[in-house]
Amino acid sequence: MRSEAGPATAYDDLPYTRGGTVDRSEVGALVQSAVDGDTAAWKAIVEGLSPLVWSVVRAHRLSDADGHEVYQTVWFRFAQHLGRIREPEKAGSWLASTARNECLKVIKSLRRLTPTDDPQLLDRVSEERTPEQSVLDSEEAAAQSERVRHLWQEFEALGERCRQLLRVLISSPPPSYQEVSAALGIAVGSIGPMRQRCLRRLRARLDARGAL
Amino acid sequence: MDDDMDDDMDDTYEEALGDGELDHGALEAELREAAAILDPVPAELRLLAVEAYALHDLDAKIAELTFDSLVDAIPVRGAVDVPRMLTFHTGGLTVDVEVTPRGIMGQLLPPQSASIEVLDGPRAGASLTADDMGRFTSEARPTGPFALRLRAGGEVVVTEWMRA
Repeated sequence: MRSEAGPATAYDDLPYTRGGTVDRSEVGALVQSAVDGDTAAWKAIVEGLSPLVWSVVRAHRLSDADGHEVYQTVWFRFAQHLGRIREPEKAGSWLASTARNECLKVIKSLRRLTPTDDPQLLDRVSEERTPEQSVLDSEEAAAQSERVRHLWQEFEALGERCRQLLRVLISSPPPSYQEVSAALGIAVGSIGPMRQRCLRRLRARLDARGAL
Repeated sequence: MDDDMDDDMDDTYEEALGDGELDHGALEAELREAAAILDPVPAELRLLAVEAYALHDLDAKIAELTFDSLVDAIPVRGAVDVPRMLTFHTGGLTVDVEVTPRGIMGQLLPPQSASIEVLDGPRAGASLTADDMGRFTSEARPTGPFALRLRAGGEVVVTEWMRA
């Protein structure tokens, strides 16, 4: 029971076998290699941490245009500060908190100006088909596709705090609790209990629907 | 929300079964897969992040943001479309920038001439010049992230990347 072993370290001990190529314990070394001119190291950092940055953008329900700009700003600034970041092993937290700050600025500027677009309305899964979606659309995968869509619909319908927390937690590879904390401004110690609670709610919604 | 009490009951139920966390772990993993399928990092953004490596420049000094009207100023009631005022600072140089719908206006302090490049991404940007009074203007309003690269007094200074 990871959650009871201590939420602060729960994820940090896990091997990252899914999706990305960055083991969080190697981030510091990769950053150093990138500083020294290793392009492959930089690519590995982007590969491993861009889903985290994207998840922070999505968690804040920005419009596509604003979200894309925040994502770019974060990576441009990270590249600019490369070699000057005090704790390179915490690059993930640096990226997550920079993304959060930029998202909050966007939200603030939308409130201040006459809103030209409504982030709530614009928040939806892209209409464009990714290769994975096209595969899902094939007939054999129709049942699986249905399942994934139902799961996503119920996730989207969760309360705002749960949706935010889970959106960041499910980036791939899984973020550390320090990174989640930086991404959302939530104390590390409260992430584990909130996660339990939110997944429980999601499970209840799915059970009620009879989907999974 | 309305099911707070159900949550507490679930706790007892799950502890009795002893598989609450197993189930949660599996559900989270499934949701992670769904996110990878339905809400992945757009390919063009991933590529831009890879290309951003070109922006890494250890020889340039970074002028850090020290004032942003969006955060540090209280807007006048009813004022819309107020210019965005940004101040960047490094060592002895201050860069004041005003972003309006018509473009960029800026001031270097202490006043000095400089050649300036307006960057909007990893590729080369438009060139400007600051006059002897340290003033510079650009007709083009940055539409996304931007930074200024200045050559002044034998130094290269780059302002922190900002979203205009």
